[in-house]
Amino acid sequence: MADQMMAIAILLPVVAGFLILIVRNYYARNIVVVVTALILIGNSIFLALKGPFTYTPSGFNWGLLITILDYAILIFYLYVGISLRNWLVLIFALAQLIPLAYFEFVMKAHIEVSPAFVVDHLALVMTLVISIIGSLICIFALRYMYDHEHHAHLEKSRQSRFLFWLVLFLGAMNGLVFANNLVWLYFFWEVTTLCSFQLISHDRTKEAIHNAARAVWMNSTGGTAFILAIIYLYTTQGGSSALSVQNLIGGGIQASVVLLPIALLCYTGFTKAAQMPFQSWLLGAMVAPTPVSALLHSSTMVKAGVYLVLRLAPVYAGTYLSTIIAIAGAFTFFATSALAVSQSTGKRVLAYSTIANLGLIIACAGINTPLSIAAAILLIIFHAISKGLLFLCAGTIEHQIWSRDIEDMEGLAAKAPLTTLITAIGILSMFLPPFGMLIGKWIAIEAAYIVPLAAVFFVLASTLTIVFWTKWLGRLLQVLPQIRRPFEKLSPSYFVPLWTLLIGIFVVGIGVGPIYQNFLLAATNDVVSGNQIIALGVNNLILTTPSIMQREILGLFPVWPLYLILIVALLLPLLMIGLKPTELRPVYMCGEQTGGTDTDEWLAEADKKTKFQLGGYYYQSVLGEKRVNPWANAIAILLLVIMLGCGVIVI
Amino acid sequence: MMIKQLLLVFVVLVGAPIVGGLLFGIDRRITARMQGRYGPPIIQPFYDFLKLLGKQHIAVSKMQFVWIYGYLVFMIASLIFLFLKSDFLLLVFLLGFAGVSLVLGGFSTKSPYAHFGANRELMQIMAYEPILLLLAIGIYALNGSFLISDIFKQEKPLLFTLWPLFLAVLYVLTIKMRKSPFDIATSHHGHQEIVKGVTTEYSGPYFALFHLAEWYEIILLLGIITLFWTNPLWVGILIALAAFILELFIDNITARMTVSWMVRLSWSVGLILGIANIAYIYFTKGVS
Repeated sequence: MADQMMAIAILLPVVAGFLILIVRNYYARNIVVVVTALILIGNSIFLALKGPFTYTPSGFNWGLLITILDYAILIFYLYVGISLRNWLVLIFALAQLIPLAYFEFVMKAHIEVSPAFVVDHLALVMTLVISIIGSLICIFALRYMYDHEHHAHLEKSRQSRFLFWLVLFLGAMNGLVFANNLVWLYFFWEVTTLCSFQLISHDRTKEAIHNAARAVWMNSTGGTAFILAIIYLYTTQGGSSALSVQNLIGGGIQASVVLLPIALLCYTGFTKAAQMPFQSWLLGAMVAPTPVSALLHSSTMVKAGVYLVLRLAPVYAGTYLSTIIAIAGAFTFFATSALAVSQSTGKRVLAYSTIANLGLIIACAGINTPLSIAAAILLIIFHAISKGLLFLCAGTIEHQIWSRDIEDMEGLAAKAPLTTLITAIGILSMFLPPFGMLIGKWIAIEAAYIVPLAAVFFVLASTLTIVFWTKWLGRLLQVLPQIRRPFEKLSPSYFVPLWTLLIGIFVVGIGVGPIYQNFLLAATNDVVSGNQIIALGVNNLILTTPSIMQREILGLFPVWPLYLILIVALLLPLLMIGLKPTELRPVYMCGEQTGGTDTDEWLAEADKKTKFQLGGYYYQSVLGEKRVNPWANAIAILLLVIMLGCGVIVI
Repeated sequence: MMIKQLLLVFVVLVGAPIVGGLLFGIDRRITARMQGRYGPPIIQPFYDFLKLLGKQHIAVSKMQFVWIYGYLVFMIASLIFLFLKSDFLLLVFLLGFAGVSLVLGGFSTKSPYAHFGANRELMQIMAYEPILLLLAIGIYALNGSFLISDIFKQEKPLLFTLWPLFLAVLYVLTIKMRKSPFDIATSHHGHQEIVKGVTTEYSGPYFALFHLAEWYEIILLLGIITLFWTNPLWVGILIALAAFILELFIDNITARMTVSWMVRLSWSVGLILGIANIAYIYFTKGVS
């Protein structure tokens, strides 16, 4: 039963994708996508209820099919490289193709890994995130792409093609988190890269194709490292048993010998998670329609990168490699948070914030205590929900004002109060207590002291996080005095995902105690075999030390009382305060205001009526990309070199 | 246990603004004497508060009222965290929410002066937040936990090892008390170019709420300083009061500086003090 459900999780998106390609009718296609989404969501929940299992497919020669498809993808990259005359794409496609062919034809490698799929609690957490949030984004994309093409006045609809890659992505991600065979994992890895290439280049503009090519070559360097790691493991560790992820992390192989391939695999994870200095591909991916960004940033693609690093955590535990991963991740968290302050495009702020939070998660993996691993898993979940919501909000806003610029969102609260409300909650949930992201950050800082440099980066970064989110939210809220603003109407394809994710923030946030206790604790234990490290009640989140003998409390977090405080502080005033028309006044303009409350004009020089304009601060001269990037990239590259060096010099 | 805690919460809710208001009265009196004036009675802040409460409601936007409630409630929440001796790290985060609420209150009107103030208030958060978070890490380095109750269990006062962070926190106190040279976002005295900064558009009862929040805030800040010497507690309280008086001197002998100067000073001197402090503990004491 479980293996059929697993097959659904991986193969249903493939089947549905081809069905979408065939069905050309807008409504019929919508039904296909919605039904697929519902099945995937239900399936992932049942899978999670069923618990962990392992499975090796038999009968059909899946290995052969995967090998053929591997080559097909790589040859496609060759074609892309040649047709675009993009030599980087070409070089790194060859850099994967040649070692792979050498491995399979010259070395005549025989890969037989059993079990081929291991679905443990971490994989279940990932598949829940992928299936639920990913499916919601697919539903959002239905209407979004319709509006998108309508606005762009396209003659021939390309929505089918778009939805095909979008849905296929979910299957590839599910396969990626289930796979135990490294060669198969590599295949799913490549499929996600391919999907992202197709989706980023979807609009076929010069910029879109250029950025998609960059995404491919950067991720291909990761793919090359992946293959080298596979070959190294295969040759030095005696055959295909070394290519089982479970063997690798289960201590079946001596950790000290195996550090170089692990460093290579972590490098692969860094490229996919767009860690500095690879951040530019994810920023470039912003040219794509917003559902793509939402998918890449919340539940798929980048989460594959952190998944791999997190998954391998026990292998490099206690080594210098672990420390340097913590520092590199924390540095990315800090540097990209600083860069986010200087951005005036909404989606770029979101992108930098994603990279920053992925850095935080990777740093947690590098800190490598049971506590920090728990923080990493919590952050993966909360980040996926909040960031998914925020990207969908950004898409909704974009289709109301047809702009991505934060300055154009000025006073959105007056034009689109409902969207603003949802966006505001989404933004608050990214950085303030009692929301989940802050719970994760709280645990991360509690765990970080053993790598003090990482802890210092955490502190600086979380401060910068406050600055850029508050700045953005402030631009949305700025309004002229007015009594009542009716909520705008949104298409069901928009509001169903928005409301679901919004409710998700609160349900998972308030219920973090029980959810952790019943489910995530097992996932943490699957990553590191530790004791019960966090005791959580319904009321309190209590962190304790791992030793059973002596339970020392590290920190305490009353979860639902804080939500009560939030209600008292913001929700009650929001509902209770009513304004009368007689109470409204214009803002203070030193007496130079003209007209009534609803005008924003004043008497400037020579008593000329002038509209007063307000703008946000972006601190370009201090934190602009031109200023920060050279330094930050240099440091990040240095950290990467040290990381790979740690793999060579075994300590 | 539960009843005792509830009682404590009640005492804090009622007592803190009374003491805080009196401190502001003392502030005005001492400042006046330093400037060669007589000054108002010590309970003048309460007169002002009651007067403001009786004023007419005047609104520029509904959201500014919502956010000022947020400012007040989260300030009280972090104060309660202090008195319940709960998690210090979370206290700092709650204080951050209070600060963000004030900023958003300023942003939620289309007022140039409120926007100046809000942007500057945000820079103030950027200046003081990392120092408070580093203090939390410093406390963790010493005690192995972020719990304020664990600070009280220690025989040796924090001040002996965390004195560089103490200096940095004094800097935070100047920023948070809105005293010169950091009366940047809003000020207790009129400053022409920003009018009343982030609070420009508040008036009447809602401006009274802002004052109330400030009274809670001063108790919270002095409470954090008290943590540096908890055994015996009265020494800590004396240190906090001395710090308070010191701020009044600083206020009267300095002129206000620019925002960028404030942030640069805090991110250089303040952070170096904090980081050096933590590094020293890490290398001498190791991971506890």
